[in-house]
Amino acid sequence: MSPRVTRLVLGLAAPLLALVAAFAITSLVLIIAGDPVGGVWSTILQVPAERNMANIINNATVLYLSGLAVAVGFRMNLFNIGVDGQYRVAAFTAAVVAGEAWLPGYLNTALAIVCAMAVGAAWAGIAGVLRATRGVSEVISTIMLNFIATGLVAYLLRKVAVREAGSNEIGTKEIPEGSRIPSIPFSDNPAISLYGFLVIAAFFGFLFWFVLNKTRFGFDLRATGQSTTAAVASGINVTRMTIGALLISGAIAGLVGLPILFGDAYAYGSTFQSGLGFAGIAIALLGRNNPVGIAVGALLFAFLDEQSNPLQIIIGVSPDIVAITQGVIVLTVVVSYEVVRRYGVRLEQRHVARALEQSDEPPAPTAGTGHDESKGVTA
Amino acid sequence: MRRTTKLAALLTAGILSLAACGGDDTEASDTPTGGDAPTSDVKVGMAYDVGGRGDQSFNDSAAAGLDQAVEEFGVETQESEAEDGEAETAREERLRTFADAGYNPIIAVGFAYAASVGKVAAEYPEVDFAIIDDESLVDVPNVASLVFAEEQGSFLVGAAAALKSESGNVGFIGGVETPLIQKFEAGYIAGAQAVNPDIEIQSTYLTQIPDFSGFGDPAKGKTAAQGMYDNGADIVYHAAGGSGGGVFEAASESGALAIGVDADQYNTADPSLQGVIMTSMLKNVNVAVYEYLAGVVDGSTPAGVTRYDLAVDGVGYSTSGGQIDDIVGDLDAFKQQIIDGEIEVPTTP
Amino acid sequence: MSTPAPAPAAPPAGEAPLAVRLRGIGKRFPGVIANDDVNIDVRRGTIHAIVGENGAGKSTLVKILYGVQAPDSGTIEISGELVSLGSPADAIKQGVGMVFQHFMLADNLTVLENVVLGAEKLHGIGGAARAEIKRISDAYGLGIEPDHLVEDLGVGARQRVEILKVLYRGARVIILDEPTAVLVPQEVDELFHNLRGLKAEGLAVIFISHKLDEVLSVADEITVIRRGTTVRTVDPVGVTARQLAELMVGSELPSPSTEASTVTDKVLLHIAHLSLPSPEGRPLLDDISFDIHKGEVLGIAGVEGNGQAELVESIMGMRKGATGDVVLHGRDLSTTSTRGRREGGIGYIPADRHRHGLLLDAPLWENRVLGHQTREPSASRGLIDKRAARADTQRIIDEYDVRTPGVDTLARALSGGNQQKLIVGREMAGAPILLVAAHPTRGVDVGAQGAIWAHIKKARREGLAVLLISADLDELIGLSDRIEVILRGRLVGSFDPSDVTPQQLGSAMTGAGDDTTSRETA
Repeated sequence: MSPRVTRLVLGLAAPLLALVAAFAITSLVLIIAGDPVGGVWSTILQVPAERNMANIINNATVLYLSGLAVAVGFRMNLFNIGVDGQYRVAAFTAAVVAGEAWLPGYLNTALAIVCAMAVGAAWAGIAGVLRATRGVSEVISTIMLNFIATGLVAYLLRKVAVREAGSNEIGTKEIPEGSRIPSIPFSDNPAISLYGFLVIAAFFGFLFWFVLNKTRFGFDLRATGQSTTAAVASGINVTRMTIGALLISGAIAGLVGLPILFGDAYAYGSTFQSGLGFAGIAIALLGRNNPVGIAVGALLFAFLDEQSNPLQIIIGVSPDIVAITQGVIVLTVVVSYEVVRRYGVRLEQRHVARALEQSDEPPAPTAGTGHDESKGVTA
Repeated sequence: MRRTTKLAALLTAGILSLAACGGDDTEASDTPTGGDAPTSDVKVGMAYDVGGRGDQSFNDSAAAGLDQAVEEFGVETQESEAEDGEAETAREERLRTFADAGYNPIIAVGFAYAASVGKVAAEYPEVDFAIIDDESLVDVPNVASLVFAEEQGSFLVGAAAALKSESGNVGFIGGVETPLIQKFEAGYIAGAQAVNPDIEIQSTYLTQIPDFSGFGDPAKGKTAAQGMYDNGADIVYHAAGGSGGGVFEAASESGALAIGVDADQYNTADPSLQGVIMTSMLKNVNVAVYEYLAGVVDGSTPAGVTRYDLAVDGVGYSTSGGQIDDIVGDLDAFKQQIIDGEIEVPTTP
Repeated sequence: MSTPAPAPAAPPAGEAPLAVRLRGIGKRFPGVIANDDVNIDVRRGTIHAIVGENGAGKSTLVKILYGVQAPDSGTIEISGELVSLGSPADAIKQGVGMVFQHFMLADNLTVLENVVLGAEKLHGIGGAARAEIKRISDAYGLGIEPDHLVEDLGVGARQRVEILKVLYRGARVIILDEPTAVLVPQEVDELFHNLRGLKAEGLAVIFISHKLDEVLSVADEITVIRRGTTVRTVDPVGVTARQLAELMVGSELPSPSTEASTVTDKVLLHIAHLSLPSPEGRPLLDDISFDIHKGEVLGIAGVEGNGQAELVESIMGMRKGATGDVVLHGRDLSTTSTRGRREGGIGYIPADRHRHGLLLDAPLWENRVLGHQTREPSASRGLIDKRAARADTQRIIDEYDVRTPGVDTLARALSGGNQQKLIVGREMAGAPILLVAAHPTRGVDVGAQGAIWAHIKKARREGLAVLLISADLDELIGLSDRIEVILRGRLVGSFDPSDVTPQQLGSAMTGAGDDTTSRETA
């Protein structure tokens, strides 16, 4: 088998292994609980209807941005647990800015997006500065910042809130129609459509890939993630990279709530979706911090969420079973990636040893051969 | 890599424990099938808010109304509950699944469903919907809004607290700071001050949006209540759902009193804690659900806003345990004044 | 390639019973040299040395004997009994003890506490244990006080504590892995004295080393390992270090000796009053000044931990708080970042290539970019130029004889020597003015060692200034034009390598001999 094929097979083996294990474990839980295993899987794995398909893609868009935000930190070995707080502060800011409509039409939209990214970056930047200057673990500080974000947004929301007559919900002013992001038609039914923000999310996915893999900044970031000591010795300013990575992570986190805001809710209120930042952690792990992998992970999570919804109504099984599946997937993915990575390293060492044995006495290796296309560092 | 592994383990443990917390309601919808139980071809879809049946709060109260309807009319039911942090589309999808599966009517428990009921009701004009705690859909013909005057009931227990307090210091604990719970607070304060304008009132909320754990965390409730008792309060009113159990414990340990909420908690509390439950503010969600279903079975599908206030005994106070028997006269006087409109109870603190 | 391993040669004088008998030990790892048909007999009351170059399979063999790894084939007999060692605990039970190269002592505990840690069952943790430690210390002349704090002890004393730990647990066979690597010559003599004491008490000592002079002076028998298998067991009497080395390498030896001096009077690196304060009081570097000229190799000798790492990192701009002047070719770099200094013409071979020199899980071409990500050909206009970086990596592979299947191989998969050659090639790629080489041949095989020495000499010829840090005194003496000795963060003596002995350097390194008058350096 050529090295390229080997690498591809290994790359696919890990997530497949993880999925199979996760499904087996979930089935076991169902059997122990005495629930209909077949019914659960046939409900979850049925082909989604058009409307559900659109929901899956839309929710995946949101999860994708969250995964990207987390992945930027992961690539540098920084654990931005605070995406949750960052996106809520940012989405609230965007909702207020867009709701006030200081600028007309899409200028208003653009301003709101920029504000959201700036606020998200600033919120994460606090953790970055603390880490870089005081050595405070970003895990701790971002978790604390999540709590502060909750309190701050709740407080500010009450300040600016408008309340529809008869409703117990409070929210920001609705975004004027001219500043909403138009949706992408998905079927003949005009009610079924995709968030227009999908395009922006995809663009950021591309940007993520380009910056990390093609630019000097991305190289520095990955190098720092792989070995801080080697990065320092090579002349990388790790302090600056730490703050920079968290700023970028926070800026992307600032986008997380925006597809919902500009495509569906048009206001930030008490029922605005929460917890997206934590899903992002799982999805970044699942996608190996790779923009395509994260997309697959986001789609998988959105698919499971969507398909599990009718479980309780149709066959009387709590959709919480899917939370178990998702949790187990994350765990098995990490385990199987590690197993496959070690196996890959062993294969590689064997490959090196064999190649050197063949060209043993003439010491110069056969130049120009064996150029299997590794895509560089994949953390 | 090692850090990643650890994190994943943590995450998984977290997700699993979350799942375990809310996992056991799969057999909740058993219909009692007695020998000659009444039968009906009405199929009721019940969409709960987060917490669902078993939350010892207003989801449970709604479930009680449903159970009563099952028993008396033999309606067929199916239930589903919201997940924490779910997308808006998940709520919509839940309602659609009910509608597609032939459930009619569909009852949405909690104001969080307002937007999704509005949307799905438009898609299924032949299906009847009911929503609790929201009246923003008053113009939608196939939606019945079931709302409560929580501030009125809270006014009465506030008055009871002020009448019974020896220290002149009472407390209020809200689960999550939402406009809905603020109605409880506003009524309670108004009631207490109506009796004693100089009364000292301590007030706090356990969590803020979007953290809804304030409705289900007895430890938080206990800590907050303990603080109030230590600060001199001798009666604390909670509007904090499942967190209220902690409030009662704190009252018991401090030798003080507490006021329950939603249902008559004297009846559901542990016998050792019954003594501290002076009264409960009744928010009869069960009555609203039952009456709505009675109307549906009857064929006179209700629509529009139904307000459950003191006038129709949709809210009120309980007297189990006999601790407030001596002041019932005063409370009923207040009640009459509110019904007559002589007292206007505020809805925001 | 390897000569078939014969049964051990006729044992030298003394037919003492066998303590350890290894037969046909084999161990395979994918792509790594391990063991194949290793046969060794170790007698009681002898010091048995096992020598071989790095990567020859010594450490695998030791791990097998100490129960850390199970052999794939072969048998182990201890005191004539066939044993199977599944774990170090099994080995200790069989009376096999091990003293690691890196001490496993808790600094903030006393000797007593360190010794009883994990062996509380033997003599408790109180008076009985203290008495037993005194007894062992006296019996073998170790001179250990049970109640001293380990952090107050010198390196030699710590090593004796490690030996005592092993004896305390009842070891009759003691394995010492490269015990002299961390010692200065005087301490080495002391250690050998102790080892002879152990031998006199009937213990068997297995001594792993690649320092042949030491082996010849202390061992009763020497087994040479090459490419994972035992080549021969020889009697130290009548064998020279050079013969031993040739057994080890299987070919002619490289030597580090310098050619004719190329030193000029043009100063390329000027270091003045370089200091690095430490929060704990005594500064890590204290007013260090020196110059390196074009075409000159300046060697820094010193016992590890006396400021060598700090000196290198301060020159590289990696240490915050360093004061003093670093002037490279007339340009003051004192306040410049590490990247700026590298761009200014400093090539840097770090002491720990795994921690500071490489991204182990990245392909070779990305490792080529590391440290050069701002410069051609690795990058242009903020973007990484993958094509050019790959091409230049291939050039380094060819010119520096890095044995690898290609530029996409992960750095981790290469052997230490090949990793180091890649680093040398990379650091020479930026046309540096100054090469800072910290322990450039540590942990690499003899072949790579010779190649790296050749490259340093070539750099010198080409007019670079070279700062060489090494623990290997032969390497320092052989390559340097001048040697400075560093002790507790200060330069304490300057020597001419052409007329200095390792003993003289050793004295200066420990601060023992003030007979060497240190002359002030400019």
